[in-house]
Amino acid sequence: MAYINQYQYYTNNNTNPNDANWGSYQYISLEDIVNNFMLIYQGNMELVNNLNRYQVLFHAKRGIQELNYDALKEIKVLQLDIDSNYRFVLPSDFVNWVRVSQWKDGLLYPLTENIQTNFSDSYLQDNQANLLFDQNGNVLRPQDSQVDLARIQGSAKSIYLNAGSPFDGQEGYCVDGCWYFDYQIGARFGLNTETANSNPTFKIDKKAGVINFSSTGGPISVVLEYVSDGMENGDDASVSLNKLFEEYIYAYIRYSILNGRLGVSEYIVNRARKDKSSLLRNAKLRLSNIHPGRLLMNLRGQDKWIK
Amino acid sequence: MINSVRNTVLAVLNKNNYGYLSPQDFNLYCLQAQMDLFEDYFYNYNNWIVRQVQGTSGSGYADIVKGLEEVIDTFSVTAPLLNESTAQLNRSDYTLPTFALNGSDYYLLSKVLVYQTIKTQGTNTGTSGGGNRLTDANATFITNGIAVGDIVGFVSPAGLPINAVVEVVVSETVLELETTFLTATGIDYTIYDPSKIKEVEKVTHQKITMLENSLLTKPTLTYPSYTQNAASAKIYPITIYNQGQIISQYIRYPFAPNWTYLETSGQDPIFNPSDPLYQNFELPQSDEPNLVAKILQYAGVEIREGDVVTFAQSEEALDTQETS
Repeated sequence: MAYINQYQYYTNNNTNPNDANWGSYQYISLEDIVNNFMLIYQGNMELVNNLNRYQVLFHAKRGIQELNYDALKEIKVLQLDIDSNYRFVLPSDFVNWVRVSQWKDGLLYPLTENIQTNFSDSYLQDNQANLLFDQNGNVLRPQDSQVDLARIQGSAKSIYLNAGSPFDGQEGYCVDGCWYFDYQIGARFGLNTETANSNPTFKIDKKAGVINFSSTGGPISVVLEYVSDGMENGDDASVSLNKLFEEYIYAYIRYSILNGRLGVSEYIVNRARKDKSSLLRNAKLRLSNIHPGRLLMNLRGQDKWIK
Repeated sequence: MINSVRNTVLAVLNKNNYGYLSPQDFNLYCLQAQMDLFEDYFYNYNNWIVRQVQGTSGSGYADIVKGLEEVIDTFSVTAPLLNESTAQLNRSDYTLPTFALNGSDYYLLSKVLVYQTIKTQGTNTGTSGGGNRLTDANATFITNGIAVGDIVGFVSPAGLPINAVVEVVVSETVLELETTFLTATGIDYTIYDPSKIKEVEKVTHQKITMLENSLLTKPTLTYPSYTQNAASAKIYPITIYNQGQIISQYIRYPFAPNWTYLETSGQDPIFNPSDPLYQNFELPQSDEPNLVAKILQYAGVEIREGDVVTFAQSEEALDTQETS
């Protein structure tokens, strides 16, 4: 971002929003990336010439998107209460989720993704299981499938050890503070730790754009951690990239252009590819921020006996 | 230079009393010769760029590319483009530079620029004696942050596109501009922030539709584009349509040379550089031999003298050999 004085940085020249420039120095804008590339890496004496700016813009944006998916660790967080259908509508810039948690009693409880589906589409059928169609030949659909209805109404059973479990409320034996049950829960075959979680579960319906939650425990407040693609809802002026990846994005654009060009020697393409890969590795290492202070805190736990 | 060229041409032509070249014919040949050499500069420029890339050109005094650029840059003009369109569909069409509007016709558009930030807009309500004051009783210039150096775009009463620089912010309703064209009231104006300027990229008609439909590369105010038609440039996004918002830097055609003279009875015309229609060659002094050679070729054909044409062609070929 542009060089600004401290007053502008801290107060945005006393205009709203005051925090507009906080932390902005970590980033380089898309405008700068495209401008710098056209200025420095494109020209008569450079590897790439006769480029349209929109080509550079395209590759720059694609590079930023790819980085946002994993390498950048630019995690967005959104807290919402789920609706009466136990759904959490995905944010408008959602690309993939990182973690889903329940906010309860001032604590965040990470939730488990259900290994089974908890939503379904459905068609209307008669008592002979024949599909029903309208006059245009389209199949008729109910408002909710039975799977959805059971989940919303709370009648669905759960393979997880929460309130929806068929074993919930069964008698057991408390010995030395530990609960033991006769058969179903682990006594015969051992506990299935994958489903040993008492919190509500969820399953993401990507096409429908919602996260469907089990109705265990009633409506909850959910905190979604997710990644976007960094395109800032199409506002080019707001798109930016961490400076640690600046050299990489130039290398990425250069490689992408050379790789798609006719008549470029393979060794030049290879050089650009290696350049790009090594710069990505370097940037990831830098971003991981490994330094003695952090390592020390981790190593302090190495001699702790875990009972 | 034009008189010197004419004297040389006449000297060669009259060597053996071959003939005489009238001023009218001379001026016609001057125009042809200058245009020919002017175009050659661009081809030469490209050739020398290729040699530069290949590493066979030098630097310092041997930097031929630099010399060619300097000559071409003498024809560079930066001027605002006029938005003449009134229909909603064509409202982002700007008229390309013409002699009538901008004082020169364009040879090629080097770049088109857009002011991104509009500070304020309005209509002037008063005039000053010198035509250099923008007076708008409804304006709040100081409140709107208008500062010295801002650009005011408007169309003059004569229909010319004007972009004037703010020299003094006199009051909330009066600005002093670096222009004398504000001689009437009712002129619509727009004031731009000069620091927020972007290059508008030229896009072919084949690409623009796909570009418009592309999610990642759709033209925006940050990355605008334009397509070129016969006499206008259509700017994308079409929300760019204000007067003075688009400026262009272009290479103009050289003005037509005109050897002006005073009539004398029975004698040769006398060169008159004070004539308002006088126009010298615009190419550098070093092009004089080439101009002479070119004009001699035309003149040689006129007087049906093959020797002159052959001589001129060999001179030109020799020069080409030396400079390439």
